[in-house]
Amino acid sequence: MRDFLLLYINGVRHQIHAHQARMSLSDFLRRELGQIGTKIVCSEGDCGACSVLVGRVHEDGLRYEAIDSCIAFLFQLDSTHIVTVEGLAKAGSMNDVQQALVDCHGSQCGFCTPGFAMAMTAMQENDCSKDADSMRTGLTGNLCRCTGYVSILEAGLTAELAEGDRMDVLYPSEPMLQDFYAHSAEDIALIEDSTPPLLKKLSSPASISTNGQGKGFAASRVLCPVTLASALEVLREWPQSMIVAGATDIGVRVNKGQALPETILDLNRVKELEQLGVVDGKLVMGARASWTEVESLCRQQLEEFYQIVKVFGAPQIRNMGTVGGNVINASPIADSLPFYFVMDAELELRSAEGSRTVNINDFYQGYKKFDLQPGELLTRVTVPLPDEGELLRLFKVSRRLDLDISSFTAAIRIRLDGSRIAEAALAFGAVGPTVLRARNTEDFLVGREFSEATMREAGELAVAEVTPISDVRGSEDYRLQLTRNVFVKFYLEHQPDAVLL
Amino acid sequence: MTSIGKPLPHDSARGHVTGSALFIDDMPAQVGELHVGFVGSPVACGEIVRIDVQAALETPGVVACYTAEDVAGHNVFGLIVADDPFLAREEVMYVGQPVVVVAAETPAALELGRRAVEIECREKTPVLTIEQAIQENRFLGPVRKIARGRVDENLTSAPHRLQGTFKSGGQEQFYLESQAALAYPGEQGQIVVHSSTQNPTEIQAVIAEVLGLGQHEVVCICKRMGGAFGGKETQAAIPAIMAALVASKTGRAARVIYNKDDDMCVTGKRHEYFTRWECGFDDAGHLLALRCEYFSNGGATTDLSPSVMERTLLHGDNAYYLPHVEFTGKVCFTNLPPNTAFRGFGGPQGMIVIENVLESIAEKLGLDALEIRRANVYGVGSRNVTPYGQVVDKNHLPEIFETLAEDSDYQRRRIEIADFNAKSRLQVRGLALTGMKFGISFTTKFLNQGNSLVNIYTDGTIQVSTGATEMGQGVNVKIRQLVADEFAIDPRRVLMMATSTEKNNNTSPTAASAGTDLNGAAAVVACQEIKSRLRTFAAEHLADSESGLVASPEHICFAEGSVHDDRRPQVRIPFEQLCEDARRDRVDLGARGFFATPGIDFNRETGRGTPFFYFTQGAAVAEVVIDRFNGEMRVLRADLLIDIGRSINPGVDRGQIIGGFVQGMGWVTNECLTYNEKGELLSHSPTTYKIPAVTDIPPEFNVRMFPNHDNTHNIGSSKAVGEPPLMLALSVWAAVRNALSYVKPGAEIDLKSPATGEEILRVMTALEKDTTTNTLEVPARLES
Repeated sequence: MRDFLLLYINGVRHQIHAHQARMSLSDFLRRELGQIGTKIVCSEGDCGACSVLVGRVHEDGLRYEAIDSCIAFLFQLDSTHIVTVEGLAKAGSMNDVQQALVDCHGSQCGFCTPGFAMAMTAMQENDCSKDADSMRTGLTGNLCRCTGYVSILEAGLTAELAEGDRMDVLYPSEPMLQDFYAHSAEDIALIEDSTPPLLKKLSSPASISTNGQGKGFAASRVLCPVTLASALEVLREWPQSMIVAGATDIGVRVNKGQALPETILDLNRVKELEQLGVVDGKLVMGARASWTEVESLCRQQLEEFYQIVKVFGAPQIRNMGTVGGNVINASPIADSLPFYFVMDAELELRSAEGSRTVNINDFYQGYKKFDLQPGELLTRVTVPLPDEGELLRLFKVSRRLDLDISSFTAAIRIRLDGSRIAEAALAFGAVGPTVLRARNTEDFLVGREFSEATMREAGELAVAEVTPISDVRGSEDYRLQLTRNVFVKFYLEHQPDAVLL
Repeated sequence: MTSIGKPLPHDSARGHVTGSALFIDDMPAQVGELHVGFVGSPVACGEIVRIDVQAALETPGVVACYTAEDVAGHNVFGLIVADDPFLAREEVMYVGQPVVVVAAETPAALELGRRAVEIECREKTPVLTIEQAIQENRFLGPVRKIARGRVDENLTSAPHRLQGTFKSGGQEQFYLESQAALAYPGEQGQIVVHSSTQNPTEIQAVIAEVLGLGQHEVVCICKRMGGAFGGKETQAAIPAIMAALVASKTGRAARVIYNKDDDMCVTGKRHEYFTRWECGFDDAGHLLALRCEYFSNGGATTDLSPSVMERTLLHGDNAYYLPHVEFTGKVCFTNLPPNTAFRGFGGPQGMIVIENVLESIAEKLGLDALEIRRANVYGVGSRNVTPYGQVVDKNHLPEIFETLAEDSDYQRRRIEIADFNAKSRLQVRGLALTGMKFGISFTTKFLNQGNSLVNIYTDGTIQVSTGATEMGQGVNVKIRQLVADEFAIDPRRVLMMATSTEKNNNTSPTAASAGTDLNGAAAVVACQEIKSRLRTFAAEHLADSESGLVASPEHICFAEGSVHDDRRPQVRIPFEQLCEDARRDRVDLGARGFFATPGIDFNRETGRGTPFFYFTQGAAVAEVVIDRFNGEMRVLRADLLIDIGRSINPGVDRGQIIGGFVQGMGWVTNECLTYNEKGELLSHSPTTYKIPAVTDIPPEFNVRMFPNHDNTHNIGSSKAVGEPPLMLALSVWAAVRNALSYVKPGAEIDLKSPATGEEILRVMTALEKDTTTNTLEVPARLES
């Protein structure tokens, strides 16, 4: 057991104790370390100005990815190496990405620029910036209001990181890895007494938000166990703890005024929850598998789901966000859920007492309500994959293609027997308090001819099964029309003569 | 070694990419510095019944709370009409309107203090929309009008007539650096304020007014802004006053950094517009008469709204000749934050209406809209006088249209698109070419001035200070190039200093695209003054009585880092040597330059004059594809051709062109401001307000500058580039409309801006349901 977090920032070792553990990484960088190159704009992971690199331990050493530092808490970052814009090159120089941004006029006002430099360096590190397409996909987490992106993309395609500017050369990983390994087996308990630090020491920025929006305060207990067994023990002892993995949602809520609860169970060190693969025709995903890992698996093996995952948040979000988080967040607009619903995915829930599995179609009970008992932890999601010949389409409609929350989601799975529909599963999101199955419409479809007329009629029926509201992402009418239209769209997209651009 | 015309990097590029360029929030804290924030009105309209700051003051770490009662000088200011309160006193006019300023030792204490402030209001029903304001006859300022010819007569006699209404939405500037200011007390009662502002002189003036100081007691400095786009022309004032008030009252440094949500909720934006229009035209689509009645949503105070409306009227014609025309404009007075400047400044709102009208005419006549635009574009030699009487001089629009249509392969793609649309049941494509003519100059005449301070040191290096503020647009590097070229030295020997009211007084805002025009010209004037002194000095120095070379300043040349007499070019004095020697000979190596744009004038009352020094022109072609079932739209290709004269820095200018276009694309596609019935903004962060992302830019994107060196009366024969490219994005909106015209040929298309996926789907659904064909032609006179 240890009472501090161990992390490196630009090669410098830091031990973080309880009173700072709940700070966001960006607050720590800017306020405690005075490293002001990391910029804060939205405090919600939607602009990427605060992007930094996080180097995490993998089999092959430290692997660096971009994350949004404004919604990452320090307690999530034990045994990582953080690199900020100040640390991208040797003091006083620029790496090739930075130089290319200068040469290609990639900065105008400069406020988003450090974030872009980080995201682009991350892509270089991972060798995924070779063509215009991957460059665009890799930069969806960074907003720029000045340049219109073209010059930034040009810089990205011009730059080639010199060997000397690669992270493992700038920051030899061996000493850091030795340090991490030496501490890797220790559970971490970061415990503060109940007096809010704020009242004890006014100058301490602990537990306060970026931009002064306030996180409130609470007596704090952050526990970062190493094994699933000890995580379940923590839950047995403190069943009310907040379970945090990627924090891409709670990070935002805290920045916008919500207080963190007294006890936090951080899952970032529990390796057992990282499982990911296709086993016996099923996609098996540990609750803490990151969306980046799921994306790379599905790119090879499950194209339809890949199309959804690749517009799920942005790289910075997918590098933190987890499979389990998207399920437990229980949002009716969660992008992954319609797929699970039509495939009858199973959730494995475990507690210190044992485990059970629940069909996802039975898991949600109302808006943000679900069947998880105190002391239980979602550990695994298992999704049966569609059979050969089954038609499966996943739909996401959002105002903007990338880094946007859905206005409407749907999944349609149909098995044909000749020209007739033998089986149909239909799930919709953002049109009710939970993701839902349109059972009446499914019943209607079974046994009918797979035709445009059938699908048109199904659309009309489905409209009666959804209850959308009007909000900032779209009106009720819009969502009803999308529900109605998705059926004929599905049909036409499966016609051999479909003309698509 | 001329540097003009070279794509030198942005002045701060290195600082930007390394994170070392300091913005206000990055500046080191001073000992005792206070964190300052505010508490705003909980309602959009009402009277303040009670303000209770007791609990806030008792919060540990809270140092002070101030209300309107604590303001020593004027509490009300405004550039056009003084109706903008710094802190609401009795009446509140929009949600979030600042009422109480809170200062605290830490951000956490500030937050707790803000939450502890109680403001009780007697709530009244707010007026939020243009429609409501029209109904209740609530307007700000007088009706504005620009007219020519006999509109009614020509509407009546026209072979065809159409009428309709048009709505365009507002737009958040979405600068990445939120409003920010840092103030601290200077000596002798002075206040020094660092503000993220386009208008340091205005900040100086309002702080002096509010604190009851002389303007000489306030210094305002702006090193750079993290974007502005018009949003920091007037709206930087309130946060700057907050910081100054606290600094003045407490004697401590005070910093205000708005968070993104507050910034979006309480600051003004681009005005949304509602327009009634009617037009008459002939079989070839020539516009014979056009009448537009524009209404803008001004918000709760005047701010810049009348000037914005004025620019709308001055751009209602866009690139097209209108023989008989009547434009009138009214600013609606509503309970929203005061809407303000945003790149284009009312121009886009006027121009999109006529582009919409031209699309309607094309659909009505069954002709390609490009034919209609060609028929109406301003001519060369004839059909070239604007509705307000200014001649469109050196007009390149017809040539730009032809070149672009050719380069973008318009005709071939038109055929392909028609073919695709006939075949595809899943998608529909559209194509449009729109024009752009944007007038350069402030329409408020006195603002068309700039001054500069040029200081040369004895090592031949130069510091330049002007009133131009750097918001990312690259004005600094452009002025640097202009100055370096005056002395024929390496631009690295010239540095642009932070903009400060201490160096340059009574400056105009960096706005109206005129930053480089005004301040660059003023810098050159100062350089020329110094050059004249140096010429005299150098002439003496280089004179050679033995060879009969008499001192003659006219023969002195500055070239390649040195000076020489052109009659004996082999003898050269390095520039730094010349400076050193000149100082020893007591020659003044500093000068102040002043420039006032000549020949412009505009009479608001008659709506006639020559408001613009020149026009920046261009055109764009956009192609879009739309999913017929969900309305999702992608821009497939864009081709821009723009005449910005002789570019001072093509790298920087290309960035302005592309950035402006993409920003305009956001305005006409995805950027949507949503308010609830209480007047609270629901889309107040990037989660819910979607500016274009990297994947939204067209995969095929061709940007060209029209070669043109004939704008000789402007600095370096250049043309302003800041705002104009935004309006090239009207092509994207028009292409969407064009795509929809294939859904049901001949039917009326009522597409608003922004053309969001939702809006597009709404129109497509209506088109498919509606069995009637074109119902646009209505002879009745518009009601006003």
